[in-house]
Amino acid sequence: MSLMQINNLKKSFGQLEVLKDISLTVEQGDVIAILGPSGSGKSTFLRSLIDLETVDGGDIIIEDNYLCKDGKYQPAKQRRETLKKMGMVFQHFNLFPHMDIEKNLMLAPLCNKQADKAQLKKEALDTLRKVGLEEKLHEMPGNLSGGQKQRVAIARALMRKPDILLFDEPTSALDPELTGEVLNVIKDLSKEKMTMLIVTHEIGFAHEAANKIMFMDGGYVLAFGTPEEVLDRSGNARIEAFLKKVL
Amino acid sequence: MPLNEWIPQMAEGCIITIKLFITVFVLSLPLGLILTFLYTTKNKAINGIVGLYILIMRGTPLLLQIFFVYFGLPYAPVIGKYLTINDRFTAGAVAFILNYAAYFAEIFRGGLLSVDKGQYEAAKVLGLNDMQTRFKIVLPQMFRISLPAVSNEAIVLIKDTALITAIGLTDLLKVTKTIVNRTTNISAFAVAALFYLVMSYVLTLVFKFLEKKFSF
Ligand SMILES: Nc1ncnc2c1ncn2[C@@H]1O[C@H](COP(=O)(O)OP(=O)(O)OP(=O)(O)O)[C@@H](O)[C@H]1O
Ligand SMILES: [Mg+2]
Repeated sequence: MSLMQINNLKKSFGQLEVLKDISLTVEQGDVIAILGPSGSGKSTFLRSLIDLETVDGGDIIIEDNYLCKDGKYQPAKQRRETLKKMGMVFQHFNLFPHMDIEKNLMLAPLCNKQADKAQLKKEALDTLRKVGLEEKLHEMPGNLSGGQKQRVAIARALMRKPDILLFDEPTSALDPELTGEVLNVIKDLSKEKMTMLIVTHEIGFAHEAANKIMFMDGGYVLAFGTPEEVLDRSGNARIEAFLKKVL
Repeated sequence: MPLNEWIPQMAEGCIITIKLFITVFVLSLPLGLILTFLYTTKNKAINGIVGLYILIMRGTPLLLQIFFVYFGLPYAPVIGKYLTINDRFTAGAVAFILNYAAYFAEIFRGGLLSVDKGQYEAAKVLGLNDMQTRFKIVLPQMFRISLPAVSNEAIVLIKDTALITAIGLTDLLKVTKTIVNRTTNISAFAVAALFYLVMSYVLTLVFKFLEKKFSF
């Protein structure tokens, strides 16, 4: 059984049909880069998977649990349970500005009684070390650079020990010279077989780090396959036009 | 009457002023917070009632509200006798609290609106429930954002306390006026101004400290 199964997802904002028919199978260890023109529904799709958007139709199945079935959602408590093993990293980091980095990392696991405080303190330090920021343990988010903030945001998501991590343009808010440090952290995670779905405009990174590319356009999946299949020899005029524009 | 006699009298007046300030400040803040919550719930009827309350409290003179609570309420039909507040201090404080709560409610509502929606989304994807999100993420940021406006309101309040003179409480202003009447010497007014100034200044310092302490 696959880690995540998405069938025939549909979603409109009022009159605007953003997701028309999206299906996707995610296997353990997949790193899927989601590409597509602006407004094609990439963010909406990703946000639907973690219950930040409510879809109108289709199924979302995460580790054999339905988040929604045929557009009908499970009760809130069950959804929370289903999403326990999912994490998300946002374009604008969304760190909690009133807490230092350690508290940012520990808040959710403490609230969810994941472990005792001493254990979580140790995990926080270990996780920060993983993203190369252990010296920032007691810094406030406001004092970090964009790249550092995003690495902290990734560490915060990792604290919940997710099976699947979602990234929505994790480097788009960063100065070009800071994107590398974040992309490297993501690459490290892929080496550890973390399953990830990454909306990105970094084609080079997608080519290198992803094992699958999902190309979205107009609410549909225009292409899905290996980077070579989708980026190098799709033969699809729209994909080629898009690539020409962003490269 | 020499200076060394009025200063202690004025200091006593100051105590009443400070007592009123603290009572009002400490009680109107939580009441304002409750009003903010009621104002931002999804229930339209409750929103309407709170909106009307805030409109009345901010749209009519505070002095009128003080008179209403102290002189007016006892004449309310049927329930008047339960609403009579004989103690001037209590009556004044009640009017002040009801009034300032409305202002604080608006300040907090503004603070709530400035909390980024990404904060709620981050809290949700981290599995925090509504209570945890509200108390650990939203409220601390709301308070921080509201702090400068609350500080401003506190300084307005310390001066507004002088209105209590109108229902005969011997606060700093009342004491001063009595001294001036008796001595026909207006320098007591200058001393009173100094007292108010010092109190405002202390408040300014306290809030500056708080803003610094909770900066992010
Ligand atoms: N909350 C919303 N209410 C109304 N319309 C929305 C909302 N969110 C997104 N949309 C619209 O849905 C469409 C798809 O938006 P989405 O953010 O998913 O695109 P995207 O592929 O992520 O684009 P980008 O590359 O610019 O981030 C857009 O036309 C957008 O304006
Ligand atoms: Mg987007």
